[in-house]
Amino acid sequence: MSQLFVLDFWIFVLVMAGIWAIFALGLQLQYGVAGLMNFGHVGMMALSSYSMAILVIKLHWNLWIAIVAGVAVAALGGAVLGLTTLRVRGDYFAIVTIAFSEIIRLIAYNQDGLTGGANGTIAINPAGDGFYAVPFDSFLNHVGNILHPILGSRVQNRDTRMVFVVWAVAIILMVGVARLEATPFARVLRSLREDDHVPAALGKDVFRFRLYALIIGSALAGIAGIFWAMQFTLVAPVDFESTTTFYAWIVMILGGATLVRGVPLGAIVFSFLFAGTRFFSFPPFSWFTDSQRSYLRLMIIGAILIYLMFRRPQGILGSREEMVLE
Amino acid sequence: MKELLQLLINGSVTGSILALAAVGISLVYGVLKLVNFAAGDYLTFGAYTAFVFNYTLKLPLFLSILVSMVAVSLLGIILDLAVWRQLRKNKAGQLAHFLTAIGIAFILRQAISFGFGADNKQYRIDLTKVYRFSGVYISYAQVIVLSCSIGGVILFALFLARTNLGKQMRAYSDNPTLASVSGVNVEKIVIIVWIINGLLGAMAGVFQGLTQASFTVDMGWQLQLSIFAAVVLGSIGSAYGALIGGFLLGVLMELSTWSGFHGGLAGGYKPIVAFFVLVFVLLFRPQGIFGHQSRSI
Repeated sequence: MSQLFVLDFWIFVLVMAGIWAIFALGLQLQYGVAGLMNFGHVGMMALSSYSMAILVIKLHWNLWIAIVAGVAVAALGGAVLGLTTLRVRGDYFAIVTIAFSEIIRLIAYNQDGLTGGANGTIAINPAGDGFYAVPFDSFLNHVGNILHPILGSRVQNRDTRMVFVVWAVAIILMVGVARLEATPFARVLRSLREDDHVPAALGKDVFRFRLYALIIGSALAGIAGIFWAMQFTLVAPVDFESTTTFYAWIVMILGGATLVRGVPLGAIVFSFLFAGTRFFSFPPFSWFTDSQRSYLRLMIIGAILIYLMFRRPQGILGSREEMVLE
Repeated sequence: MKELLQLLINGSVTGSILALAAVGISLVYGVLKLVNFAAGDYLTFGAYTAFVFNYTLKLPLFLSILVSMVAVSLLGIILDLAVWRQLRKNKAGQLAHFLTAIGIAFILRQAISFGFGADNKQYRIDLTKVYRFSGVYISYAQVIVLSCSIGGVILFALFLARTNLGKQMRAYSDNPTLASVSGVNVEKIVIIVWIINGLLGAMAGVFQGLTQASFTVDMGWQLQLSIFAAVVLGSIGSAYGALIGGFLLGVLMELSTWSGFHGGLAGGYKPIVAFFVLVFVLLFRPQGIFGHQSRSI
């Protein structure tokens, strides 16, 4: 029967949902609160996972220190992006941020010696070991040992162990961001989303608050990038195309851009839609080849995005009044 | 010296393609205030339409280009009636426009993949035919691109400068309120803009497919940011500016590989040159090289 009914597959989907949730959480802070139309979010994911991989494979750093460094590089990327581009208008900001992330991707693609080029991090060190995830896997094994009394032999599946780690981190981060968004800091940002002039007139430093949102959001993208790298054990330029940014936008809009609790909902719905439709083996989907079905699935995702923009810009959970997208 | 001349020829070809594509995008922005993130995929649609007529139906390339020009114009009009007009009526904000464009881009690209698969496509022309003038090479494909582009641009410039419609369009792009009260029919201008976008965009799509010898569905999307760079370089909303911006950018991209310039950049960095131009212009001179500081768009 179809792979739709295999538990392992759905566990994989859940792992991806957790990674999408962390990734889109950064965007939620940036757009949902600070009103920044960041279309280059994936660039920060690329910065952190590539930095981590290069530090481990080339310079033989300890993985855990390299992970912290990778996330720090992403946050720094957010700071650089913000300091240079935050003063431009909204539509220009969207274009500049796409360009920023494409520049990062193309450098990764062309700097074979540093990044492994088109083949990805596996080719960083042609002579020897191109893997970085070994210490992470032994950590996952520890997690498996702890979970064994509850889950039994199911923990032998790597994704099962991964689900717990990814979602534990995702939940901690979501609680953190939710608390952040309940502070006066976020009230200032929220007011910015509607109008730059009011908070500026009240003596609030608009630029500084937006910069903070960009940096924190970029660090979150960095964390997502680390998990992405651990899940697939190698990263390549193709992982960091702008499409990935747009998927995060869909995740955020689906759940409701103004709400932190919309993010995990959007991530789960999106991941099931994204991965699940691949295995639709009943008519009318069964009339097509596998690759045609995968094109169809992306067409459906595009159609859902347009539908949301026309009919339900506030997403599944949001309130229309707060999300008119004007 | 020969190398420099060669790069200038290649740059003129790249520049012509960017110029053709940039005009449509710039006018669409000027008149509709729409940053069309699906614009690259309109080009891809044009390239594949011409592919069907040229390769599958074995029609001459020239005729296939004409058909694809009509097809992309129609696509522009249909999508405007079905989607953009609705968003304008809803007074939807910037983000709604951006994400709708991305949704359209997804659907167009995947629909083309669905019909044609992901493998490389080629037009039915002799790609090995190359002319040589005193050590400088120019391929048959490049000759087609250059001659058709020059022809297309001259016709377009005449339309803009001499015809009543062209004048109305420039007037509307310059100052919508003033143009409207002067009796310019807005809906007509919108249709004309999509037709121009289709005619010139289809040419750009086919020409890009010709010059890179083979192409896939990602072609238009990959070209899109470079076209945006050309648009902002030549001042957003200005048709003449887009032509010049596109041409300059194309030449600049090719010259960046010149070995006399610190050995030159590797070819793979050509798009990065365009993206840096995009970022720098938006940051330091958002009105473009020809725009005025005061003009708010």
